[in-house]
Formats: sequence, C-alpha cells, structure tokens
Amino acid sequence: MRRIRQRNGKPNSESTGAEVADQGLANIGDERISGNVEETIARIREKLGENDDFTMRRFQVFGRYPAAMFYFSSMIDQAIVNRDILKPLMYMPAYLEDKPIEQDRLKSVLLDESLHHSEGKSEDRLAKLIGGIVRGQTIVAVEGLDAAIVVNTRDVDKRSIDTPATEQVIRGPREGFIEILNTNIALLRYRLQTSDLRVRSMEIGRKTASKVAVCYIDGVTNSDLVKEVQKRLSNIDIDAVLDAGYLEQFIEDNHISPFPQVQYTERPDKVVANLLEGRVAILVDGSPLALVVPTVFSQFYQSVEDYTERFLLMSAVRLARFVALIFSLVFPSLYVAIISYNPELIPTEFAVAVAGGRAGVPFPAVIEVLLIEISMEVLREATIRLPQQVGGALSIVGVLVVGQAAVAAGFASPITVVIIALTTIGSFATPAFNVALALRLLRFPLIIMAGIFGLYGVMIGLILIANHLLALQSFGVPYLSPLIPSDYQGLKDLLVRGPLWWMSKRPEFLYPRDKTRVSPDTMAQIKSPPDKVLNPANQSEKER
Amino acid sequence: MEQPPRQITAIQAAATLTSTNIGVGVLALPLFTVQAANSGAPLVTLLGFLLAFVGFVPLVLLGMRFPSQSFVQYSEAIIGKWPSWIGSACVIAFFAVLTAFTSREFGEVVITAVLTRTPVEVTVIVMLLLAAISTRKDITTFAYIHHFYFPLLLVPVLLIGALSLKNADVINLLPIWGNQPTFMLEGILTTAALFEGSFVIAVVIPAMKRPDYALKANFWGMLVGGALYVMIVVATVSVFGAEETSNLLWPTLELAKATSLPANVLERLDAAFLAVWVTTVFTTLLSSYFLTVTELQKLFRQREHKMFSLFMLPFVFFIAMLPQNISQMYATIKIVGRIGLIVTIVYPTLLLVIAIIRNKRGEHADAQQMGKND
Amino acid sequence: MLSRWAKTIKLPLVILIVFPLLSGCWDRLELEERAVVLGISIDTAEPEEVQQEGAITFHSDNVSFPKKDLISVSVQIAIPGKIQLGPSENSGSGKGGTVQSVWVVKVVGYTLDDALVNLQQQISGRLFYGHLRVIVVSEAVARRGMENINDFLRRNSEVRRMAWMLISRGRAEELMKSKPQLERVPTLYLISTMDSAVRMGRFPQNYIGMFWSNMSKKGQEAFLPYVEMKKEQNIELKGLAYFRNDKMVGATRSLEMGTYMSLKGVNPAGYRGFVQIGNPPGTVTVYATSRRASVSVRIIDNVPHFQVNVFTEINVEEKFSDTFALNNSRVLEEIRKENRRQLSEAAERLIKETQRAGSDIFGFGEYLRAKRPGFWDRRVKTKERWQEMYKTVSVDVKVDSRVRRIGMKAK
Repeated sequence: MRRIRQRNGKPNSESTGAEVADQGLANIGDERISGNVEETIARIREKLGENDDFTMRRFQVFGRYPAAMFYFSSMIDQAIVNRDILKPLMYMPAYLEDKPIEQDRLKSVLLDESLHHSEGKSEDRLAKLIGGIVRGQTIVAVEGLDAAIVVNTRDVDKRSIDTPATEQVIRGPREGFIEILNTNIALLRYRLQTSDLRVRSMEIGRKTASKVAVCYIDGVTNSDLVKEVQKRLSNIDIDAVLDAGYLEQFIEDNHISPFPQVQYTERPDKVVANLLEGRVAILVDGSPLALVVPTVFSQFYQSVEDYTERFLLMSAVRLARFVALIFSLVFPSLYVAIISYNPELIPTEFAVAVAGGRAGVPFPAVIEVLLIEISMEVLREATIRLPQQVGGALSIVGVLVVGQAAVAAGFASPITVVIIALTTIGSFATPAFNVALALRLLRFPLIIMAGIFGLYGVMIGLILIANHLLALQSFGVPYLSPLIPSDYQGLKDLLVRGPLWWMSKRPEFLYPRDKTRVSPDTMAQIKSPPDKVLNPANQSEKER
Repeated sequence: MEQPPRQITAIQAAATLTSTNIGVGVLALPLFTVQAANSGAPLVTLLGFLLAFVGFVPLVLLGMRFPSQSFVQYSEAIIGKWPSWIGSACVIAFFAVLTAFTSREFGEVVITAVLTRTPVEVTVIVMLLLAAISTRKDITTFAYIHHFYFPLLLVPVLLIGALSLKNADVINLLPIWGNQPTFMLEGILTTAALFEGSFVIAVVIPAMKRPDYALKANFWGMLVGGALYVMIVVATVSVFGAEETSNLLWPTLELAKATSLPANVLERLDAAFLAVWVTTVFTTLLSSYFLTVTELQKLFRQREHKMFSLFMLPFVFFIAMLPQNISQMYATIKIVGRIGLIVTIVYPTLLLVIAIIRNKRGEHADAQQMGKND
Repeated sequence: MLSRWAKTIKLPLVILIVFPLLSGCWDRLELEERAVVLGISIDTAEPEEVQQEGAITFHSDNVSFPKKDLISVSVQIAIPGKIQLGPSENSGSGKGGTVQSVWVVKVVGYTLDDALVNLQQQISGRLFYGHLRVIVVSEAVARRGMENINDFLRRNSEVRRMAWMLISRGRAEELMKSKPQLERVPTLYLISTMDSAVRMGRFPQNYIGMFWSNMSKKGQEAFLPYVEMKKEQNIELKGLAYFRNDKMVGATRSLEMGTYMSLKGVNPAGYRGFVQIGNPPGTVTVYATSRRASVSVRIIDNVPHFQVNVFTEINVEEKFSDTFALNNSRVLEEIRKENRRQLSEAAERLIKETQRAGSDIFGFGEYLRAKRPGFWDRRVKTKERWQEMYKTVSVDVKVDSRVRRIGMKAK
C-alpha cells in the first residue's frame, strides 16, 4: 500500500493527515527522539500519560540496555507483545552471547536479528511514534538508540463475517463486509486473484484518521476516473469519517439532488462485479459498506442475483422490480388525480363503489392520502428502530389494526389504505434502500401536484423529475446511461438481463480500457450445437 | 462562450426533431386539413409535410456548411452584421411568439377538456415555467430530454391509431384528393407551418458529434414526424369521416375519447392521452424556447443563455395572453404560421444562396477531427 | 454579476408563482361530492309538468320558447355506497327487491341544458357526466328533432363518445325508473343489453359517437336502437330508429335489424329466421354465422345504380316438420335457395322503406361520394340533394348463402 500525499502546502505535509490534524501533536513539529530513554518516556507520557489504558513498561534489552515499551493496552494483542517483542528482546540470541555489541550495531541487531515480528521498523520522529501508539502499535525505545522500534501489534475485536443484512440473495455468496478494512480487502482479493487489482489507501479525518482504500482494476478502469476519485477524496478535510456515507456526500456531483449518485453495498461480490465493469470502489475502515462510483440509475433496481440465476427468469423479475419502483413513485398521486379530477377514467361500477367508500371521509383525497402516507412512513421508521422481536409485532399491528381502525373510524377510505399499503410494499422491492428513499420522498410533491392539477400536475411533476435525472451525472457519466445516451452494450443489461455470453463487452459509458468480457471463442463455442455424449444413439453405438 | 461539447448523436438529433414537431398542433391538425380538403386531409398533410421536408433542407445544408457556428453567427458571416442582426432578431422574435402560442393553445386545450375551472393563465404559466427551467440546462441535456421522451410520444399515437382501426372505415378516406378541395394550398401551408420547430436543427448541428450526419438526422427525424402526422389524420378521418371531423375542435383528442382500452382498464383515454401529451407539448415548447434563448445569447454575445430563460418569461407570457378567445387564437396562429414559413424556410434558403454565391464557409477542421475520434 | 442579479430575483419570483398555485385546486372535486349521472332520459313534457319549469337560465320575458316544446328530463344519479363491488352482503336477507342504488330526478326545461341547470339548482353535488352511459330519448322527442340534445352533449367535454343513445317507444322516463333484476344499476343493465346485443350479432355497434358521425356525413343518415320497456322491467330491442337529418322518421321491425346488418356485412351474425321448404311445407330455423357484403355503383343516365352483393353462411338450428330429413345436400340446397329469396326480398323491402323516408342509413351516398367523386361533386354535393336523390336510385340486392352445418343431429 502506498501512502498518498494530502493537502499540499501545509506544514508537516510530509506525514499522514492524522499527525497534522492532531492538536496534541501540532506543537511537536519535526521533533526527533534522542538516545535518552528517560527523556523519550517523559515526552511520550506528557502526550498520552493521562489515559488509563496507556501502558509503559521498562525492561532491559539483553539484560544490558535499559529500554521502555509503550502501547495502548486496549488496542494490542498482549500475547504477541509478550512472545514476539518482549521475550526476544530480553533474551540475547545464543550466538551473540558474550560478544560485545557496539552501540551502532545494536539497532540492526534488534531489528534484523532479534525481533520476531514481521511488521517492525525503526522511527525517530516523535510525532510518528505517538501516532503509531494511537493506532495500536507498540513502541520500544532503547537507551542509546536515536530511533525507536515500531511494531504493529494492533488487535481490535471484530465481528465475524456474516450474511449481508440488507442485501440478501437466494442464490449467491453469503459473505458481507465487516467493519475492519483489512478483512474487507481480503474479501475482495481472494475473489480477484489478479495482480491487476490495485488498492490505494489514504487517511481521511483529522480526528478519526480513518483509513480509506480506493480499489480498482488496472487495465480495466479508466485511469482518468481513478485520478478524479483520488482528487475528490483528497480534497476532503473533515474531522471525522465515521462511515462511508460521510465520504459519499463529499464526492458526489450534485449535492442537493435526492437521487444517490454513489452506490453502496455490503456485498464483496457486488463490489467485484462493479470493479470488473470498470468502476472504482471505496472502502473505509470502520464501515461495512463499500462505495462504488460512478453510479447510474439502472444499478439501483439490479441485484447480484440477477446474474446468478437464468437470464429469462431474472429479466422478468427485474422488470417486476422496475414496475414496483415506478409504482412506488406514482401510484398515490395517480389515485388522487383520478379520484379528485378524472373519475371518468375508471369503470363506472368501480367509480361508484369508490365514491361509496369515500362517502364518510371528511378530508379531500389529497389530505387523506398525505395523512396515511405520513403515518405509514412513521410506522416504517418505527419498525426499523424497534428491537427485532418487537418490530415484527408492531408492523402487523400497524398495518392491520391501524389501517382497519382508520377505515372504521371514517378517517380513511378502504381503497386509500389499499393503495398506500401497495405503494409501501412496492417501495421495498427496490434493492437499493437509498433510491427507494429518494422516490418515497418525491412521492409527496407529486401527491401535492396531483391535488392541484390532477393528472396534468402529475405529468408536470414527472417531467421535472425526469429532466433532473437527465441532467444528473455521476463522475461525468449521465445518470440514465445506458438508456440516454444509448449504448448498445449497456442496453442488454438495462431492463432485461441478457445472457452472460451475450453481454460480451463491458458497458461503454464507463469507457473501460479493456472492453472484452467474454472471448469470441467462447461465443463461438456456445453457438455451436452441444455434443450429445450421453445421447442413447451415441452410447448404444459405442457399446456395440 | 466556449465551444459546446460535441456529444449529440444523429439518433438524438433525429429524436429532437421528431419530438419538436409532434406537439399541440397535432390535436387540431385533422380539423385544419379536413377544412382544406375534406376526405383529402391525409393528402394535404402529406403535401404539407413534403413542403416542410424540402423546405428545411437549405437550413441543414447551411448548418453543415458552418458546422461549428450557430445560426446567428453564420448569418452574420454571410450577409454582414446589421442585415443579419435584423434577420436573426426576426427569427428569435418568431420563435418567442411560437413558444407563446404553443403554450396558449395547450392551455386552452387543458382548460376546455380537463381542468375546466382553472384559469388559463395558470396552465399557460405552468407550461412556460416548466420549459423555462429546462432551458437552463445545456444543449447535451436538451438532446437527452428529447431522446428520452421520444418513446412517450410514439406510444400514445400508435396506441390510439391501433385501437381506432377497429372503428375505421376506408370509405371515409375516399376520394383521396377530396371532394372539390377548395383550400388545398391553405391547408398545405398550415400543415407545413406545424413543422416550423424543425428550425431547432440549426442549434443542434454545432453540438453534433458528426455534423455531416445532420442531413440524415434531419431526414429521419422529419420523416418519423411526418409519418405520425399522416397516421393521426388517417386514423381520425377514417373513424369520424370528414364531415364529423370538421365539427370537432380537437379531433385527435376526440379520437382518444372514442377509444377505450380492451378489458376496460381505462374506460376512456382522453384525459390519460392529454396527460401523456403534456410531455410532447413540453418538448415542443422546450425546443422553441431553447432556440429563442440560445440565439438571443449569441445575438447579444453573452456567455450564458441561462439568464435569458427567466428574462424572456414575462414577454412570452404576455404574448400568450394576447388572443381574446379561442377563434381569435387559431386565426392568429394561422397567420403567425404563414409568417413563420418565410422566416424559417425562405430566409435560410436566401442565406444559403448568398453563401454559395459569395463562397463563404465555416471552418471544418475540428468537426472532422471529432468525427474521427470516435 | 448577472448571475447574482438572477439569484436575487429568483426567490421572489418562485414565491410569486408558487403561492397562487398552492391556493389553487380550482378543479378539485372529490368523487363523492359529484352527482355521478349514469343515465338521462328525455321526454316531451306532460301538460301538468309545464308549470314546473324553473326559469333559471333566463329572465322571464326576454327569451321566448313555445310552451309546447318543453322537455322533461329524468336523470339517474348513482347513490354512493349503495352500489358495491363484489358479492353483496345482504343478498340473502332482502325480500327480492333490489336495493335502491340510484336516484331518479325529473326536471322540466326548454332545452336539455336548461333542464339540467334546473336540476343542478335542486341537488347539492355538481352533476358529473363522465360516467353518463345511456341517453334515452322518447320517440316523440326524436321525431321533433335532436339538434339541441346532440349539440349539448357534443359540446360537453365530460360526455363520452362511447355512450349509447336509445330511442324508446313510449315514455323514456320508464327506462330510467326500471328495476331490472340482473344488474344493480338500471343503466348498467341497459348497457349490458346493448353490448351483448352487439356481441351476439343482433345489433350493429352504434355508440353515440358513431351516431353523430353518421349524422354529419353527407351521404348517410343516422340510426339508433329502438327499444321498448316490457312488463318484467326488461327491455326489448325492437328495431332501428332511422333518421333524416336530426329527426327520426321511422323505425324498422326486429328482424330487419338482421337484414340491415346483412346488407352492411356486419359480423358476427346473430339472427334466426324461418325458412319454409318441402312439399308438404315444413319449416326449419336457420341462423347465419357470418356475413359479407360488397357494394358497387354504376351511373346510368345520371342516376346511380347500386348493386349489393351479400353472402351469408348459415347453419340449421331447428326443424319443425317430420316430412323430410336433413340428411342430404339437396335439402340443404333448397334451404339455401329459399333463404336467398327471403333475404333479398326483405332487403329490398327495407331499402324501399328507407327510400320512401329519404333516409339512407346504409350509406349508399357515402359510397357514391367515395367511388364516384366526379358525379357527386357535379350532381349531389349537399346532404339535402342526396336525400332527394336517394328516393330515386335503384338498388339491386344479390344474396348468396351457403348452408354449412345442421347441428349434432344427423337427420
């Protein structure tokens, strides 16, 4: 991993962002440690000594040289420190016994011959040392050495790799990202065992110093895209990055659009698929969600499962999902428009029945729908917040009892409740939560437009939304690609999902370097008739 | 202003033309043509279309001659600063008026057919605002918008055409030249005037990836538009008969009223048709408004066309509100249409002739290079 | 600088435009606030009803309408909640009588609009014609002329072109008040009567829009279904009421609807007819399954001569005699000949009848206009002239038919 320079032009820009930003380290500057252990102890204690989990241990290297070891006991693996650092440093290797070690050779003996840990190095800048302790490294300062030994002993408890909670599939891998960045990168690497996978990391956040990894496939992803992603990331100067969502809001193109221009996912296989299409993934330490850019609208109703099942079935499922998406946007407003403005559109019997259902309701249809919609949103939000065991019960109570009671009380008409229930359920059919949220939000202005102008208003609203989508871009990629502007390769994977062998090229709108996915040979193979080896005719001939 | 990005493909340019041409005029088109030549209405439509089809070729040739300049810029190069300023101002004024009347016409349709108690000012201003907001985007988005709405324009027309086949009667279309057509020429001119939006190609060419495909795009764009026009007239007249069509103010809308989806999904289609038609009217408005605004920007040599969008709004709205009643509105629209034919067909033809005589031509270099790059 | 100016002006502008919009909702009218009109019937006003005219649309003396032209309009309005979808819950408990699902209100007026305005004055919800499915006009009104009725209905944007207009023998009001047993809403029953008549080939499709189209055509006259209310609240389709201009001039008999449809070649075919054959004579009932018709015209001495070729396919449905068996082609051939003779006689009779009335419901004039435009433009040109000429044209009807099947019985 290579470190990337950040924020040029500021003092101390030589080191990573965290040290610059840390107030406690600001006045240290470029100070280096001397060979005096006591002095080093004093300096480090001054900075970190007020923490109860800060540990300083004095010992004698090889029984001769006084030394001190520093670490945060909460962040390190005690066993490793004992076994791999303390023990080898205390016991002198057998072949060195009785031989005097010159002061200038001591450092190399300690690092190269004694230390039993792969991630060890020497460092003399005080700021770096303190920064290292904060990140879970162990520092060993030895009397007479002008540099301390830094060993990575970080060990933070993590949860195990689990099924992705929000993106479940029936057919497909069951692994989801966890919070630890290295684990996540490992999940990517073992899926993409190629030297072309590049992972570049940087630290963002003045206080959190969160490690951010930018992943892409060299030779596939357009290099301009990688540069732009890194540029946008390095421009972020914020105190804390607690989740990938923080970054998303800084790197998107249009900041006030309700539509997400960055996709997030907790599925490593989805990230890999996107990398292979020529996208860039951004992972943040501490966040189980990876960001994928650039993003186009069609991604939001696509699911990884689309590609694992047979294409004909999944095309139909995808169409259904798309219909649900559109329905969740326009259904309530269409209802309002038809009831309040154009009841001649629905069959006579139905119209009269609806009128009967609405007869006792005191509000106009707009208000009624808005009220029910809002209470539905409240119910939905409440169900998410509640503990799982209660949540299920509440949703049933909410939908059945409240809906029934509202109708019985003359608060809403039965058909309204049906419409809203359908809409809400429809909005959950969208695999991407954030775009479902956007469409749910846009539903409200549409309902109001329907209340003012009927169908005409709904169309005006939809035109405004569509025009916004048409103007929207994600890293310069038009949001509605590959539909507008049309791209033949991309159209194969838009509303329907073409067979994998048919989608032989990567999507054109991402301008990938290497365009071919399926080799022409495979295509030819598939088109030729298959060998019917176990065909009774062939086999019986063989037996004879 | 910097050179706009050359991103528009030939298909997008063609879609832009078609969706510009199909608009509110289609609602009354069968009435105009039937008035001209009763059962010869489809023929009148076809001839009117052919007139416009041929008439806009000089403009396209002009655009291809100056592939990186807009109309205002190359007319200046051809006939000099002041004469061209007057010419361009006429074009701009004409399209401002066209925008105004398109919005007014649709406003009238909406309040007559659906929102009977909404003031016409409101429906007009809503459409104008919608167009004005959308003209603030750049030319690429402009082409994207047209491309995106293109299917929305095809679906209702084809659907209603197909559904009305059931009630169609060929007798109504005979004789194809009409019974003693008296106002044939007038009808042809009126129909041709409905294609005046095609002038938008002048704005599109400088942003096309391959300006040399402009003629092809123009051909297909206008052809699809013309085919839809003829189809609508054929469907309307064959269902209603010429006499009944002449009794209807908006025969196309009435056609939607006379058809219902199978299985009673929607009992009648007129309100739904009108709702979908909002998009096609929007694209028409967008084109003429965009044309007005961008050419104004070139005329006054501003860097951005955005400010003109809102600046023009009160003027356009004022013009839209001028006609006192619906008969006066249609009379004015017809007159404006005739004048428009001079502005959009005769004037560019003159320019082309002068350009050829004086051998003026725009620089080709960057366009060619762009073409090779993709 | 300009953009800053634009920005400062943008907000007030948006507010200026948005606020009037929010206070809008001019056209919002909830479904339950509308008086959904399902059917309208139009009668001439009875003498005792004349006094009821409300004089709402005009100041008393300025407008003068002859008192005898008053019309009486009954409007059927749906009562919300009484018409339910799905199986009704109280079907078992009721004593057979249908629930009152509609409200029939009667008003008097000089014109249709006048009457409806009078009605609006009496009821709260705004009358909504979007679901107007049936307009029943009494024969008396239709004979007087329908210009006013048609004009109002065409001008109104809510009225659909796919409604049915019926001419009733006797009072039209009765049809509005009827309580058919099969449907919960009387007008829907009327609709389904007409729709299934069309489906079964008993009546040509003739929505109000087509009626209007036919009426406008120069070479054609309009017709409407002619119905009568029967004792059991059922409605009988009695024939075609044919028009000359906007006035009804006559009505055909029931079977002549089938003749009309044969002449027009309308499918499906649905009428049954007796055919008498054999010696001693026996009767078979045949029904046509499909029809084809074509028209051709020749001009002889400035008079158009039409020839209609009709072809029908028929099946035997019933035999009413034991003197012969239907087991060979010879008998079928006889049936065929007899059917041909009967049909062409009936057709010529029907054409003669309409010629006497000067009402070309077949559209021969349209055919002439389309195929012989030169003759039309020279000699006819207007509707009136054609109405006169139609009386003198000659129409030959050539019928051909084939008997195809005799049912499941072998003899």
